[in-house]
Amino acid sequence: MKAIKRRIKSVGSTKQITKAMQLVASSKLRKAKARAEQARPYFNELYKTMCEIASGKNLETHFTQKREIKNRLFIVVAGDRGLAGGYNSNVMKMAVAAHKDDAVKPKIIAIGRKAAEFFSKRGYSMVAAYANIAENIKPNTAQDIADIAINMFNSGEVDEVVVFYTMFISSMSQQPQSMTVLPMTTVELEDTTEMTYDPSPEAVFNRIVPRFTASLIQCAVVESYASEQGARRTAMENATDNADAMTENLSLLYNRARQASITTEIIDIVSGASAQG
Amino acid sequence: MTPFKLQIITPEKTFYDGEVEQVIARTTVGDVGILRGHEPYCAALGVGQMRVMINGEFRRAATSGGIIKVSREQTTILVQTCEWAEDIDVSRANKARDAAEERRKAAVNDKELALAEAKLQRALNRIDTASFLK
Repeated sequence: MKAIKRRIKSVGSTKQITKAMQLVASSKLRKAKARAEQARPYFNELYKTMCEIASGKNLETHFTQKREIKNRLFIVVAGDRGLAGGYNSNVMKMAVAAHKDDAVKPKIIAIGRKAAEFFSKRGYSMVAAYANIAENIKPNTAQDIADIAINMFNSGEVDEVVVFYTMFISSMSQQPQSMTVLPMTTVELEDTTEMTYDPSPEAVFNRIVPRFTASLIQCAVVESYASEQGARRTAMENATDNADAMTENLSLLYNRARQASITTEIIDIVSGASAQG
Repeated sequence: MTPFKLQIITPEKTFYDGEVEQVIARTTVGDVGILRGHEPYCAALGVGQMRVMINGEFRRAATSGGIIKVSREQTTILVQTCEWAEDIDVSRANKARDAAEERRKAAVNDKELALAEAKLQRALNRIDTASFLK
Protein backbone atom coordinates (compact mmCIF):
# COMPACT_ATOMS: atom_id res chain seq x y z
CA MET A 1 0.00 0.00 0.00
CA LYS A 2 2.82 2.36 0.86
CA ALA A 3 4.46 1.59 -2.48
CA ILE A 4 1.31 2.45 -4.43
CA LYS A 5 0.94 5.70 -2.52
CA ARG A 6 4.50 6.63 -3.42
CA ARG A 7 3.86 5.85 -7.09
CA ILE A 8 0.75 8.05 -7.10
CA LYS A 9 2.75 10.90 -5.66
CA SER A 10 5.58 10.57 -8.18
CA VAL A 11 3.21 10.33 -11.14
CA GLY A 12 1.42 13.40 -9.80
CA SER A 13 4.58 15.49 -9.68
CA THR A 14 5.62 14.34 -13.16
CA LYS A 15 2.22 15.41 -14.37
CA GLN A 16 2.73 18.82 -12.84
CA ILE A 17 5.96 19.22 -14.81
CA THR A 18 4.52 18.06 -18.13
CA LYS A 19 1.47 20.26 -17.61
CA ALA A 20 3.69 23.27 -16.99
CA MET A 21 5.79 22.48 -20.07
CA GLN A 22 2.63 22.16 -22.11
CA LEU A 23 1.44 25.59 -21.00
CA VAL A 24 4.82 27.18 -21.70
CA ALA A 25 4.90 25.60 -25.15
CA SER A 26 1.38 26.86 -25.92
CA SER A 27 2.24 30.44 -25.12
CA LYS A 28 5.53 30.25 -27.02
CA LEU A 29 3.71 28.68 -29.92
CA ARG A 30 1.35 31.61 -30.15
CA LYS A 31 4.25 34.06 -30.37
CA ALA A 32 6.18 31.88 -32.78
CA LYS A 33 3.19 31.55 -35.09
CA ALA A 34 2.84 35.32 -35.26
CA ARG A 35 6.55 35.67 -36.06
CA ALA A 36 6.36 33.06 -38.78
CA GLU A 37 3.48 34.91 -40.38
CA GLN A 38 5.25 38.26 -40.21
CA ALA A 39 8.33 36.83 -41.87
CA ARG A 40 6.44 35.63 -44.91
CA PRO A 41 5.63 38.86 -46.83
CA TYR A 42 9.31 39.79 -47.07
CA PHE A 43 10.26 36.37 -48.32
CA ASN A 44 7.41 36.19 -50.83
CA GLU A 45 8.06 39.65 -52.19
CA LEU A 46 11.78 38.94 -52.61
CA TYR A 47 11.09 35.70 -54.39
CA LYS A 48 8.60 37.39 -56.69
CA THR A 49 11.13 40.06 -57.56
CA MET A 50 13.78 37.48 -58.37
CA CYS A 51 11.40 35.60 -60.62
CA GLU A 52 10.43 38.84 -62.32
CA ILE A 53 14.04 39.59 -63.07
CA ALA A 54 14.70 36.11 -64.36
CA SER A 55 11.50 35.89 -66.41
CA GLY A 56 11.71 36.37 -70.13
CA LYS A 57 15.40 37.13 -70.10
CA ASN A 58 18.24 34.77 -70.50
CA LEU A 59 19.68 35.72 -67.22
CA GLU A 60 23.07 34.12 -66.83
CA THR A 61 24.48 34.20 -63.37
CA HIS A 62 26.36 31.49 -61.56
CA PHE A 63 23.67 31.49 -58.87
CA THR A 64 21.17 29.84 -61.17
CA GLN A 65 23.58 27.58 -63.05
CA LYS A 66 23.43 23.91 -62.18
CA ARG A 67 26.84 22.34 -61.73
CA GLU A 68 27.87 18.77 -61.41
CA ILE A 69 27.26 18.02 -57.75
CA LYS A 70 30.32 16.79 -55.92
CA ASN A 71 30.02 18.38 -52.52
CA ARG A 72 26.91 19.50 -50.78
CA LEU A 73 26.21 21.75 -47.84
CA PHE A 74 23.27 20.92 -45.61
CA ILE A 75 21.83 23.55 -43.32
CA VAL A 76 19.82 21.63 -40.73
CA VAL A 77 17.43 23.42 -38.42
CA ALA A 78 16.43 21.56 -35.26
CA GLY A 79 15.70 22.45 -31.65
CA ASP A 80 17.92 23.26 -28.70
CA ARG A 81 15.98 20.99 -26.38
CA GLY A 82 14.36 17.59 -26.50
CA LEU A 83 10.99 16.48 -25.16
CA ALA A 84 9.25 17.53 -28.31
CA GLY A 85 8.07 14.19 -29.66
CA GLY A 86 9.62 13.36 -33.01
CA TYR A 87 10.43 16.94 -33.90
CA ASN A 88 14.23 16.75 -33.68
CA SER A 89 14.71 13.22 -34.96
CA ASN A 90 12.37 13.58 -37.94
CA VAL A 91 14.24 16.44 -39.56
CA MET A 92 17.63 14.84 -38.92
CA LYS A 93 16.48 11.49 -40.27
CA MET A 94 15.39 13.29 -43.39
CA ALA A 95 18.79 14.98 -43.78
CA VAL A 96 20.57 11.65 -43.32
CA ALA A 97 18.29 9.89 -45.81
CA ALA A 98 18.86 12.67 -48.36
CA HIS A 99 22.55 11.93 -48.78
CA LYS A 100 22.65 8.15 -48.55
CA ASP A 101 23.48 7.86 -52.27
CA ASP A 102 26.22 10.50 -52.18
CA ALA A 103 29.85 9.52 -52.46
CA VAL A 104 30.91 12.05 -49.83
CA LYS A 105 29.14 13.09 -46.69
CA PRO A 106 27.72 16.61 -46.89
CA LYS A 107 29.16 19.48 -44.92
CA ILE A 108 26.86 20.66 -42.19
CA ILE A 109 25.74 23.95 -40.74
CA ALA A 110 23.73 23.06 -37.66
CA ILE A 111 21.15 25.39 -36.19
CA GLY A 112 19.98 24.24 -32.77
CA ARG A 113 21.97 22.34 -30.17
CA LYS A 114 20.31 19.00 -30.95
CA ALA A 115 21.36 19.18 -34.59
CA ALA A 116 24.92 20.16 -33.62
CA GLU A 117 25.21 17.20 -31.24
CA PHE A 118 23.71 14.77 -33.71
CA PHE A 119 25.99 15.57 -36.63
CA SER A 120 29.23 16.18 -34.78
CA LYS A 121 28.81 12.83 -32.99
CA ARG A 122 28.47 11.07 -36.33
CA GLY A 123 31.64 12.52 -37.80
CA TYR A 124 30.23 15.00 -40.29
CA SER A 125 32.39 17.94 -41.17
CA MET A 126 30.84 20.86 -39.35
CA VAL A 127 31.12 24.26 -40.96
CA ALA A 128 29.33 26.07 -38.18
CA ALA A 129 26.93 25.37 -35.35
CA TYR A 130 24.51 27.73 -33.69
CA ALA A 131 22.63 27.17 -30.46
CA ASN A 132 19.92 29.18 -28.74
CA ILE A 133 19.25 31.47 -31.67
CA ALA A 134 15.94 30.06 -32.86
CA GLU A 135 13.64 31.77 -30.40
CA ASN A 136 14.79 35.24 -31.31
CA ILE A 137 16.67 35.04 -34.58
CA LYS A 138 17.82 38.43 -35.90
CA PRO A 139 18.00 39.17 -39.62
CA ASN A 140 21.71 39.87 -39.23
CA THR A 141 22.34 36.42 -37.78
CA ALA A 142 20.48 34.85 -40.68
CA GLN A 143 22.60 36.97 -43.00
CA ASP A 144 25.82 35.73 -41.39
CA ILE A 145 24.76 32.13 -41.96
CA ALA A 146 23.71 32.92 -45.53
CA ASP A 147 27.05 34.61 -46.23
CA ILE A 148 28.95 31.52 -45.13
CA ALA A 149 26.86 29.36 -47.44
CA ILE A 150 27.19 31.74 -50.38
CA ASN A 151 30.94 32.06 -49.96
CA MET A 152 31.28 28.30 -50.02
CA PHE A 153 29.11 28.10 -53.10
CA ASN A 154 30.99 30.88 -54.86
CA SER A 155 34.38 29.39 -54.14
CA GLY A 156 33.29 26.02 -55.49
CA GLU A 157 33.74 24.34 -52.14
CA VAL A 158 30.18 23.10 -52.45
CA ASP A 159 27.96 22.76 -55.51
CA GLU A 160 24.62 22.72 -53.81
CA VAL A 161 23.15 24.15 -50.62
CA VAL A 162 20.08 22.51 -49.11
CA VAL A 163 18.11 23.65 -46.08
CA PHE A 164 16.29 21.12 -43.90
CA TYR A 165 13.62 22.49 -41.65
CA THR A 166 10.20 21.62 -40.25
CA MET A 167 7.21 23.20 -41.86
CA PHE A 168 4.45 24.33 -39.56
CA ILE A 169 1.16 23.09 -40.96
CA SER A 170 -0.94 23.38 -37.81
CA SER A 171 -0.46 23.05 -34.08
CA MET A 172 -1.12 19.35 -34.44
CA SER A 173 0.89 18.61 -37.55
CA GLN A 174 4.43 19.53 -38.58
CA GLN A 175 6.26 18.25 -41.61
CA PRO A 176 10.03 18.07 -42.16
CA GLN A 177 10.98 19.66 -45.47
CA SER A 178 14.03 20.23 -47.61
CA MET A 179 14.65 23.12 -49.94
CA THR A 180 17.49 23.71 -52.35
CA VAL A 181 18.74 27.26 -51.94
CA LEU A 182 21.66 27.28 -54.31
CA PRO A 183 21.70 27.01 -57.23
CA MET A 184 18.50 29.01 -57.36
CA THR A 185 15.44 27.97 -59.24
CA THR A 186 13.07 30.64 -60.43
CA VAL A 187 9.69 30.30 -62.05
CA GLU A 188 8.65 32.14 -65.19
CA LEU A 189 6.11 34.86 -64.60
CA GLU A 190 3.77 36.38 -67.13
CA ASP A 191 4.97 39.87 -66.64
CA THR A 192 4.22 42.57 -69.15
CA THR A 193 5.52 45.69 -67.46
CA GLU A 194 8.99 46.72 -68.45
CA MET A 195 11.14 47.39 -65.42
CA THR A 196 14.24 49.47 -65.49
CA TYR A 197 16.95 47.73 -63.56
CA ASP A 198 19.66 49.89 -62.13
CA PRO A 199 22.40 49.25 -63.08
CA SER A 200 21.47 45.92 -64.77
CA PRO A 201 19.16 42.94 -64.16
CA GLU A 202 22.12 40.70 -63.42
CA ALA A 203 23.61 43.14 -60.93
CA VAL A 204 20.33 43.55 -59.08
CA PHE A 205 19.75 39.80 -59.16
CA ASN A 206 23.16 39.04 -57.74
CA ARG A 207 22.63 41.60 -55.01
CA ILE A 208 19.33 40.03 -54.04
CA VAL A 209 20.63 36.46 -53.80
CA PRO A 210 22.34 36.95 -50.40
CA ARG A 211 19.26 38.73 -49.04
CA PHE A 212 17.02 36.02 -50.34
CA THR A 213 19.16 33.26 -48.89
CA ALA A 214 19.16 35.02 -45.52
CA SER A 215 15.42 35.47 -45.69
CA LEU A 216 14.95 31.82 -46.52
CA ILE A 217 17.06 30.81 -43.53
CA GLN A 218 15.18 33.22 -41.31
CA CYS A 219 11.86 31.80 -42.48
CA ALA A 220 13.06 28.22 -42.05
CA VAL A 221 14.18 28.98 -38.50
CA VAL A 222 11.02 30.74 -37.34
CA GLU A 223 8.88 28.13 -39.05
CA SER A 224 10.83 25.31 -37.37
CA TYR A 225 10.62 27.05 -34.03
CA ALA A 226 6.85 27.25 -34.27
CA SER A 227 6.83 23.57 -35.21
CA GLU A 228 9.02 22.72 -32.24
CA GLN A 229 6.62 24.41 -29.85
CA GLY A 230 3.65 22.72 -31.50
CA ALA A 231 5.31 19.32 -31.29
CA ARG A 232 6.30 19.88 -27.68
CA ARG A 233 2.82 20.96 -26.73
CA THR A 234 1.31 17.83 -28.27
CA ALA A 235 3.92 15.58 -26.65
CA MET A 236 3.38 17.14 -23.26
CA GLU A 237 -0.36 17.02 -23.63
CA ASN A 238 -0.11 13.27 -24.23
CA ALA A 239 2.21 12.88 -21.28
CA THR A 240 -0.23 14.75 -19.04
CA ASP A 241 -3.10 12.57 -20.25
CA ASN A 242 -1.05 9.44 -19.60
CA ALA A 243 -0.25 10.63 -16.12
CA ASP A 244 -3.93 11.21 -15.50
CA ALA A 245 -4.80 7.70 -16.64
CA MET A 246 -2.03 6.24 -14.50
CA THR A 247 -3.12 8.12 -11.39
CA GLU A 248 -6.63 6.85 -11.92
CA ASN A 249 -5.49 3.22 -12.20
CA LEU A 250 -3.19 3.55 -9.23
CA SER A 251 -5.83 5.10 -6.98
CA LEU A 252 -8.18 2.28 -7.91
CA LEU A 253 -5.51 -0.22 -6.88
CA TYR A 254 -4.82 1.75 -3.73
CA ASN A 255 -8.48 1.89 -2.72
CA ARG A 256 -8.89 -1.80 -3.34
CA ALA A 257 -5.86 -2.59 -1.18
CA ARG A 258 -7.12 -0.28 1.52
CA GLN A 259 -10.54 -1.90 1.50
CA ALA A 260 -9.01 -5.37 1.62
CA SER A 261 -6.92 -4.46 4.64
CA ILE A 262 -9.94 -2.95 6.44
CA THR A 263 -11.97 -6.08 5.74
CA THR A 264 -9.21 -8.29 7.14
CA GLU A 265 -9.06 -6.15 10.24
CA ILE A 266 -12.82 -6.37 10.80
CA ILE A 267 -12.77 -10.13 10.33
CA ASP A 268 -9.95 -10.31 12.87
CA ILE A 269 -11.93 -8.28 15.42
CA VAL A 270 -15.21 -10.08 14.84
CA SER A 271 -13.65 -13.52 15.02
CA GLY A 272 -11.73 -12.47 18.15
CA ALA A 273 -14.95 -11.17 19.77
CA SER A 274 -16.97 -14.29 18.93
CA ALA A 275 -14.22 -16.53 20.29
CA GLN A 276 -14.40 -14.68 23.62
CA GLY A 277 -18.21 -14.49 23.80
CA MET B 1 3.16 66.86 -54.03
CA THR B 2 0.74 64.05 -54.75
CA PRO B 3 1.16 61.11 -52.44
CA PHE B 4 1.65 57.50 -53.48
CA LYS B 5 1.63 54.16 -51.70
CA LEU B 6 4.80 52.97 -50.02
CA GLN B 7 5.47 49.69 -48.27
CA ILE B 8 8.61 49.02 -46.31
CA ILE B 9 8.96 45.34 -45.44
CA THR B 10 11.65 43.76 -43.26
CA PRO B 11 12.12 40.08 -42.44
CA GLU B 12 10.60 40.71 -39.03
CA LYS B 13 7.56 42.77 -39.91
CA THR B 14 5.93 45.21 -42.27
CA PHE B 15 7.71 48.31 -41.12
CA TYR B 16 5.67 50.94 -42.91
CA ASP B 17 2.56 50.84 -45.05
CA GLY B 18 0.97 54.09 -46.13
CA GLU B 19 0.95 57.18 -48.30
CA VAL B 20 4.09 59.21 -48.82
CA GLU B 21 5.04 62.09 -51.08
CA GLN B 22 8.63 61.29 -51.82
CA VAL B 23 11.29 58.66 -51.15
CA ILE B 24 15.01 59.19 -51.39
CA ALA B 25 17.02 56.00 -51.06
CA ARG B 26 20.66 55.08 -51.39
CA THR B 27 21.11 52.45 -54.08
CA THR B 28 24.36 50.71 -54.88
CA VAL B 29 24.93 53.19 -57.71
CA GLY B 30 23.80 56.39 -55.99
CA ASP B 31 20.79 58.13 -54.51
CA VAL B 32 17.44 57.90 -56.23
CA GLY B 33 14.40 60.04 -55.59
CA ILE B 34 10.98 58.57 -56.27
CA LEU B 35 7.90 60.69 -56.83
CA ARG B 36 4.42 59.69 -57.88
CA GLY B 37 4.29 58.35 -61.41
CA HIS B 38 7.88 57.18 -61.56
CA GLU B 39 8.54 54.59 -64.24
CA PRO B 40 8.81 50.94 -63.12
CA TYR B 41 12.21 50.71 -61.60
CA CYS B 42 14.18 48.28 -59.51
CA ALA B 43 17.55 48.64 -57.82
CA ALA B 44 19.54 47.15 -54.99
CA LEU B 45 20.05 49.20 -51.84
CA GLY B 46 23.24 49.27 -49.86
CA VAL B 47 23.75 50.10 -46.22
CA GLY B 48 22.68 53.70 -45.96
CA GLN B 49 20.06 56.24 -45.14
CA MET B 50 16.66 56.68 -46.56
CA ARG B 51 14.47 59.75 -46.42
CA VAL B 52 10.72 59.55 -46.71
CA MET B 53 8.49 62.60 -47.01
CA ILE B 54 5.25 62.20 -45.11
CA ASN B 55 2.88 65.20 -44.91
CA GLY B 56 5.53 67.60 -46.13
CA GLU B 57 8.17 66.52 -43.68
CA PHE B 58 11.14 64.28 -44.21
CA ARG B 59 11.67 61.37 -41.88
CA ARG B 60 15.04 59.74 -41.89
CA ALA B 61 15.73 56.05 -41.44
CA ALA B 62 18.79 53.83 -41.32
CA THR B 63 18.56 50.79 -43.55
CA SER B 64 20.86 47.92 -44.28
CA GLY B 65 20.85 46.25 -47.66
CA GLY B 66 17.85 45.31 -49.72
CA ILE B 67 15.99 46.39 -52.80
CA ILE B 68 13.63 49.11 -53.93
CA LYS B 69 10.94 48.27 -56.42
CA VAL B 70 8.73 50.84 -58.08
CA SER B 71 5.68 49.65 -59.95
CA ARG B 72 2.73 51.59 -61.35
CA GLU B 73 0.62 50.84 -58.28
CA GLN B 74 3.06 51.24 -55.45
CA THR B 75 6.63 51.38 -54.27
CA THR B 76 8.01 48.51 -52.24
CA ILE B 77 11.19 48.63 -50.23
CA LEU B 78 12.54 45.34 -48.96
CA VAL B 79 15.32 45.78 -46.45
CA GLN B 80 17.09 43.62 -43.94
CA THR B 81 16.70 46.18 -41.16
CA CYS B 82 15.04 49.57 -41.01
CA GLU B 83 14.92 52.01 -38.11
CA TRP B 84 13.61 55.55 -37.90
CA ALA B 85 16.33 57.95 -36.79
CA GLU B 86 14.45 58.81 -33.59
CA ASP B 87 14.18 55.12 -32.63
CA ILE B 88 17.88 54.43 -32.86
CA ASP B 89 19.52 53.59 -29.57
CA VAL B 90 22.75 55.55 -29.95
CA SER B 91 24.51 54.05 -26.96
CA ARG B 92 23.79 50.56 -28.29
CA ALA B 93 25.02 51.56 -31.73
CA ASN B 94 28.20 52.94 -30.17
CA LYS B 95 28.72 49.67 -28.35
CA ALA B 96 28.13 47.73 -31.57
CA ARG B 97 30.71 49.92 -33.31
CA ASP B 98 33.31 49.29 -30.60
CA ALA B 99 32.62 45.56 -30.66
CA ALA B 100 32.91 45.48 -34.45
CA GLU B 101 36.21 47.36 -34.33
CA GLU B 102 37.55 44.88 -31.80
CA ARG B 103 36.51 42.00 -34.00
CA ARG B 104 38.06 43.59 -37.04
CA LYS B 105 41.39 43.85 -35.25
CA ALA B 106 41.12 40.29 -33.98
CA ALA B 107 40.07 38.83 -37.34
CA VAL B 108 42.29 35.97 -38.45
CA ASN B 109 40.94 35.41 -41.95
CA ASP B 110 39.17 37.26 -44.75
CA LYS B 111 35.80 35.84 -43.85
CA GLU B 112 35.93 37.20 -40.31
CA LEU B 113 37.28 40.49 -41.53
CA ALA B 114 34.43 40.89 -44.00
CA LEU B 115 31.85 40.05 -41.34
CA ALA B 116 33.35 42.53 -38.88
CA GLU B 117 33.52 45.25 -41.51
CA ALA B 118 29.90 44.75 -42.46
CA LYS B 119 28.95 45.03 -38.80
CA LEU B 120 31.04 48.16 -38.41
CA GLN B 121 29.44 49.73 -41.44
CA ARG B 122 25.96 49.07 -40.12
CA ALA B 123 26.80 50.51 -36.71
CA LEU B 124 28.36 53.62 -38.23
CA ASN B 125 25.36 54.11 -40.47
CA ARG B 126 23.03 54.02 -37.48
CA ILE B 127 25.14 56.46 -35.51
CA ASP B 128 25.29 58.74 -38.51
CA THR B 129 21.52 58.59 -39.10
CA ALA B 130 20.75 59.38 -35.47
CA SER B 131 23.14 62.34 -35.49
CA PHE B 132 20.93 64.22 -37.98
CA LEU B 133 18.30 64.69 -35.31
CA LYS B 134 20.32 67.09 -33.21
